[in-house]
Amino acid sequence: MDLREILNPEIIDLRVKGNTKREVLENLSIHLLEQGYIEDVKQFVDDIFLREAEGPTGMGEGLSIPHGKSETVKKIGIAIGRTLNPIAWESDISDSGWQETNLIFLFCVSVDNSYAENHLLLLSELAGKLGNYGRVQSLLSAETADEIIEGLVSDKDEYECDRTSEEEIVELDIAL
Amino acid sequence: MNIVGITACTAGIAHTYIVAEKIQKAAEEAGNRCKIETQGTVGVQNGLTAQDIAEADVVIVAHDIQVHGLERFKGKPTVDIPISVAMKSPKSLIATIQKKLAK
Repeated sequence: MDLREILNPEIIDLRVKGNTKREVLENLSIHLLEQGYIEDVKQFVDDIFLREAEGPTGMGEGLSIPHGKSETVKKIGIAIGRTLNPIAWESDISDSGWQETNLIFLFCVSVDNSYAENHLLLLSELAGKLGNYGRVQSLLSAETADEIIEGLVSDKDEYECDRTSEEEIVELDIAL
Repeated sequence: MNIVGITACTAGIAHTYIVAEKIQKAAEEAGNRCKIETQGTVGVQNGLTAQDIAEADVVIVAHDIQVHGLERFKGKPTVDIPISVAMKSPKSLIATIQKKLAK
């Protein structure tokens, strides 16, 4: 399987307009509509917000991964957007519960997935790659859709352990 | 240290996989072996084998929904945390486990 199957430069926009979460999600979703991934922008964004209400999708480092299943999705895919303005986004990463988002991975998932297992597997593989700090840093500075795609499909070692996050190590209050 | 674990988030689309990767990276960076089973929309991936579990020194269960197969870890030191803890502080999680197990 090849990640390129779900990565489409036509739904990557490195200049997404908008000042609020809803505005940028709507503007990104218009690409999904134009490329035949969804049938209705408002319904899709409303369904994304249903998932947003269940818990934060801000991942830190300026990255957010809104996602949700929607009846209006006809084709599984992932819209990728870099915003022109930093967008306030709920996040578990910061103590305030908010972060500033510049890079959005909008997962577009249908309700009935039985026919699309293959693409769901690709989506999960892609999500895993977003857990890698070095890779996210390279995506944040990408200047073209192709650079985004190459950064995601690459298995280069430079993205591996040598560039992990700058998390301050503290002792957690966990039972063992 | 040999670490095994499970991740499972509400939607099973994104956090499950991102957090699995974050735990994996943090564990390896601190010199551990690590294998994380994901339980998401596509079912179980990277499933833990009986041998993986037998060799494990500790089990990390990071989840927001019920996970399957916890009985496999009976008798193993287990850390049970919400997804958000591993999302926010993967390195601290590993460091804390190492410190507690060393006692």
